[in-house]
Amino acid sequence: MNRKTFPIHLTLATVLILLAAIAGQIRREWQERENRLARQMPTQKMGELMRKRAEVLVRFRPDVAPQEIARISSLLHDNIEDRIESVPGLVVIADEDGLDAEQVADQYRSLSNVEYAEPNYVINLEPDPQSATATKFTIDYSLRQADDPDEPDDALFPEQWSLKNSGQRGGKIGADISALRAWSKTTGSQEVVVAVLDSGVDYLHPDLLKNIWVRPQNIAAYNDPELGQIDDKFGYNAIKNDGDPMDDNGHGTHVAGIIGAEGNNQIGIAGINWNVRIMPLKFLSSGGFGTTKDAIECINYAIDRKRAGVPVRIINASWGSTRRSRALEDAIRRAGEEGILFVAAAGNTGSNTDIVPHYPASYRLPNVISVAALDRQDRLASFSNYGPKSVHIAAPGAEMLSTWPGGAYEEHSGTSMATPVVAGVAALVLSLEPDLSVNELRTRLLDAVDPLNTLSGKIVTGGKINAARAVGAQ
Amino acid sequence: MALTKEEAIKRARADLAKRLGISESEITESKVEQVDFPDLALGAPEEDEMSGQMITSGWRIELAAHGQRYEYRADKNQLRLFNFKGVNYRV
Repeated sequence: MNRKTFPIHLTLATVLILLAAIAGQIRREWQERENRLARQMPTQKMGELMRKRAEVLVRFRPDVAPQEIARISSLLHDNIEDRIESVPGLVVIADEDGLDAEQVADQYRSLSNVEYAEPNYVINLEPDPQSATATKFTIDYSLRQADDPDEPDDALFPEQWSLKNSGQRGGKIGADISALRAWSKTTGSQEVVVAVLDSGVDYLHPDLLKNIWVRPQNIAAYNDPELGQIDDKFGYNAIKNDGDPMDDNGHGTHVAGIIGAEGNNQIGIAGINWNVRIMPLKFLSSGGFGTTKDAIECINYAIDRKRAGVPVRIINASWGSTRRSRALEDAIRRAGEEGILFVAAAGNTGSNTDIVPHYPASYRLPNVISVAALDRQDRLASFSNYGPKSVHIAAPGAEMLSTWPGGAYEEHSGTSMATPVVAGVAALVLSLEPDLSVNELRTRLLDAVDPLNTLSGKIVTGGKINAARAVGAQ
Repeated sequence: MALTKEEAIKRARADLAKRLGISESEITESKVEQVDFPDLALGAPEEDEMSGQMITSGWRIELAAHGQRYEYRADKNQLRLFNFKGVNYRV
């Protein structure tokens, strides 16, 4: 900043803050009146009122001291709910004077020492566990003898066309990810941790139990200056801010099974990794509602654990929208700088994301891979988004059988289901080469594709992930 | 409790009557069909909503009133009004 104009900028900033503060004072008095009325309301009404308190994600410029951030938020009658430690200058602001989120964001946007401010976006997940698209499978506990000595003996493995396509149910023989050949080289490692950022995971599911990450005793419990100490035994629940990420929805458990259901244990399905550590991160509620802020809190948690010594190398993100959040983008970028690959769903509207981006898959970050979905005949699934410049790779994602809460198994379709295939193959690669950089890992995956005519000109690589090629199996 | 098709239609009619300020008797059902929606927000996200990218089966409920058509989308967990004056609503 020019030295001569500095006093002018300073004066302007102070005036703006004071004006906003005066406006805030008026609204605060109004809010206090509302609060007096609220105190006379029944508890339920009161709860509704409290829940309406606006939250805004604000990123201050790097040279703004924490004390200054605290002073500004106080002047504007706001609270700092949390600082996102992994993204310098990013804070969660909670309004205390009755403004809506957009108004609060505008207050901060007007300040010269703020890079950006955005309302805490609501993220919605409305599962339909009884959906007609969901095919339920009865668990067959009778012991199965594998048809092929290389096949795992999991009871439902013959239904997993994505791992071995034998033409079952109208599929195309060989239209799979070459899992059997990949498994001749590795079936995964419990030294690799994959974070499933979703609706949680049923960590008691019999087919997942052994592959769920449990915080080692030599790693201290999660401690956030604002959120407090959390006993993160099985991961993190950003909704409740506790260490119980149990899935009360189903979506996250399905994703987790594709990545790492225990293999060759005679029951259920085989994950791409027979051995791995799934770290459940819950930010979507049973009703399907979550926020950008909670997604960021989970990413911040994963980064913290990585710094504490947990080998978190991959985050799976089977969700998205067309709404861009710079705060979420910054958090994902920071994850990349910490060595974490971010694998995201391209979206299900059958559209070109070069034209209509779908986030977080469309963030142009060096650690993001955007994944399209294929059907059992190696065709781009009718619902799958694509993009010659913005969708990187394709993977099986239609009629995918996987784990479901309560020890169950269901079949579902979507780029949600294709994403963990790529995340799972990434984990297989890391089981052999744990020291690969994010860039090396990403390049390895994008180079390990089977080119498909149906994908030519549709996605960046024009191909489907091949697990055997990724791990260097013959 | 899971929402049935009948309950979804009933709630959609009541919602539309309220929004338009008319009687439910002025609303007719044009079409009700079972469809697969692209995501868990039934392809009708409210502004700022993100959703799991899993195909979700449900019902498309088309209602008509005073020469205009209105589209509701439902599954067993939710009811949404699609593109009402350019905006989606979770009912």
